[in-house]
Amino acid sequence: MSSVRKFDAVPKLNGSWKFIDDYSYENMIYGYLYYSKIHHGIIKKIIFPSEFDLNEFTIVFAKDIPGKNIVPEPESDQPFMAAKEVTHFGQIIMGIAHPNKKVLRNFANQIKIEYDELPALIDVKETLENEKNAFGREIIIDHRRKLESNKNWKKTHSIYYTSHQEQAYLEPQGMIAIYAPEKNEMFMQGTLQCPFFVKEAVENILGNSFQNVIVETSEGIGGAFGGKEDFPNVIAGITALLSYKSGKPVKTIMDRADDIQITTKRHPSRVEIETLTDPKTQKIKSLKVDYRLDAGAFQTLSPVVLARGALHASGGYAIEDSYIQGRLFRSNTPSNGAFRGFGAPQAFFAVESHIDKIAAELNLNPYDLRKKNIFRIGDELPSTQKITENHLLDCLERVIQNSDYQKKYKDFSEFNKTHRDKKGIGISIGYHGGGYTGNGEKFLNSEIKITVEKNADVRIFVANTDMGQGAHTTLAQIVSETLKHPFEKTIVQLPNTSITPNSGPTVASRTIYIVGSLLRKLSLKIRKELGFENLEKYIHKNSTKFPLEFKMNFIPDPSVFFDEETYQGIGYKDYSWAACVSEILFHSDTYQIEVKKIRTVLDIGKVVNMQIAEGQVQGGLAQAVGFASSEFFYKKGFGRLEGFTDYALPTSMDVPEMEIEFIHTDSDISKGLGEIPMDYPAPSIRNAFHHATGIFIDEIPLTPERIFKNM
Amino acid sequence: MKINFKLNNKNVAIDTDPMRRLLDVLREDFGLTGTKEGCGEGECGACTIILNGKPVTSCILNAIQADGTEILTVEAISETTEGKLLIDCFDETNAVQCGFCFPGFLVSSYYYLKNEGEANIDKITEILSGNICRCTGYQKIFESVFLACIKYKNNFVPQKEKS
Repeated sequence: MSSVRKFDAVPKLNGSWKFIDDYSYENMIYGYLYYSKIHHGIIKKIIFPSEFDLNEFTIVFAKDIPGKNIVPEPESDQPFMAAKEVTHFGQIIMGIAHPNKKVLRNFANQIKIEYDELPALIDVKETLENEKNAFGREIIIDHRRKLESNKNWKKTHSIYYTSHQEQAYLEPQGMIAIYAPEKNEMFMQGTLQCPFFVKEAVENILGNSFQNVIVETSEGIGGAFGGKEDFPNVIAGITALLSYKSGKPVKTIMDRADDIQITTKRHPSRVEIETLTDPKTQKIKSLKVDYRLDAGAFQTLSPVVLARGALHASGGYAIEDSYIQGRLFRSNTPSNGAFRGFGAPQAFFAVESHIDKIAAELNLNPYDLRKKNIFRIGDELPSTQKITENHLLDCLERVIQNSDYQKKYKDFSEFNKTHRDKKGIGISIGYHGGGYTGNGEKFLNSEIKITVEKNADVRIFVANTDMGQGAHTTLAQIVSETLKHPFEKTIVQLPNTSITPNSGPTVASRTIYIVGSLLRKLSLKIRKELGFENLEKYIHKNSTKFPLEFKMNFIPDPSVFFDEETYQGIGYKDYSWAACVSEILFHSDTYQIEVKKIRTVLDIGKVVNMQIAEGQVQGGLAQAVGFASSEFFYKKGFGRLEGFTDYALPTSMDVPEMEIEFIHTDSDISKGLGEIPMDYPAPSIRNAFHHATGIFIDEIPLTPERIFKNM
Repeated sequence: MKINFKLNNKNVAIDTDPMRRLLDVLREDFGLTGTKEGCGEGECGACTIILNGKPVTSCILNAIQADGTEILTVEAISETTEGKLLIDCFDETNAVQCGFCFPGFLVSSYYYLKNEGEANIDKITEILSGNICRCTGYQKIFESVFLACIKYKNNFVPQKEKS
């Protein structure tokens, strides 16, 4: 649990670490993605400004694609570029390149497109309320059990809504393509999470004749949070096509206004919950969830988000009879995609808000009701997966104790009787299944490689990227500690599809949990095979043996089975658990919520690097505060948001005091950490607001405008 | 148009379109890519530089506004005693995540350390409110600058300075 210092911190601080826009190449020209400014329509005519010489520009349309005009995704339904019909604002119509950035933008700004406009659906609620807008796909998790109905059981029903949330990685999307005709090679460099996804996308757009696509990440990846999981496929495909056509290196960097308007966001949700609770035993007997996500114009990776959302939708409770329905809805907005949490934050916002509603209706304390119903060893999830540890309960108990919740709950209520500004305290709990859902990891079959060099350098080869989460430092630390080898001599290779094996995408809280565990296993195998006490001394004595190369593939657990038709079985082999308590001050004159403090307790198993782990939780909590209180994207009658001036990201002044504790760290495994800090905290803020004011608002963010309307 | 200014302690002159963004001039004409573009509208602070002793966002300044001024970018600031001390502290707490916003944070914290320097979390929080970070939740940034203020008061000499 030592806190090794990140190997890349100093060069990042002094500005020498290279991000994608910091690279340039000889003869490089600049690319631009020209996109639709209308929501829905048929392209009639494209008019280029007459004062430019068109021969100076490289322009590519859908018709110029030699391969397939389809972005590879779990549901491959989105074209790289619109051919005739545009179905959302921001749909790319052409790629343009020119040697001069300013000329390029002037030209692009003056292009006019005539459309036959068609009706469009852009309002989140209009989209999600009408079942006619659903895509055909549906997930049902049926855990209905025959209950003897009882008239005294209390029915609680509500509909919960969450908004779009922008990843807001500080470095906008960017990609460089370098076409080398003599080698028939396309070299791609970019800010991205999943090098092998980008490789497939570029191969798709360039067609079968094109075999040599190499994808490497830039040295620095300026944040991603899921936002650089699938959109890089689009920008890479079109940039590659521009390079192919022009024969020159092409760099496409999106400015913030374009990035924020057309790239993927967190799915807005509408989650309807109905429960039956026995007032006598305080047990929730039955739960029905209708979980809906606005996927945008195309499904892309939304089916996978939907799966995770549905599998987390019953919250941390043992409920005998449950039924979960999950659906995706279509609108004329850009496709939504991956964002830290991946469907779980929407699920927990609904269920954790609902628990407080039941508590209020039954006149119970929110903690007591949770404790009564939280699942314990032997209980099962709606997927029938058995609960094998009481660690979620441990997290809850610990955070209640740490925060002095029970006393503050009473004290704040007293305080509020005599004060205009109100104090509130709220709880929420949650969990996150590590790795791909269901049988996903089995299919991914991740591969890793370690080499031991003559000079005693140990090199780690994985396709997983370090986008700021400290993955490369943590992975190197795992290998260095297992081999008992100096950290300075343990080096992670920059991901490059021609050098690093496919250890899978950098998503799903899987990098340390899956890839890190594999590296630990392979390191143990290396020690056992070579039989050394000290690797450096061993190499010195046996130098002719080196360099040596070691490989390993993912080893599936045969007891893990998931039925993708019925959604029964083991959704995730290992879950991370967490609970938090938030304290707020509600300013009655300005209708503002000030989040004063968040205390949280997590079980992520063994913590590899304490400071890095804390940093992940702190960052996730801040994003959850934004999700709960300020961040939204579309709003009826408000117009579009076009940058950081409009989009309310938490600043240093908006984040609360944070207190973080990890429990059950003596475990053998390091479970997923990346996403869970974003999953569960938002409803605790909403619940604290209820404690402060007695008002339930079932929709976030809790902006002053929304609160004002509800009071 | 000719523009003369002092950049990282050296007199420089360029002949350029006076309406170009100062950020682009620094990155493209001088290769100073430590100054980053996060939002292009003066909101995020990733492009913060010191101009005539004050922190400013270079993405909303034009080249002409540099004429006759003294400019320090992260490349020069990281070589100063204060810069090295801050880098040490950010490194010690493992505060840096993606690092895209950090050159801007380093410049703003350098300004605070040099001109105010009080180890006071509230003041540090306020001075850094013009720099947005999406990764860290700011906690370890506050901690680092706080630590640097204490060490600076105690005339602490950073590791690299000693050698």
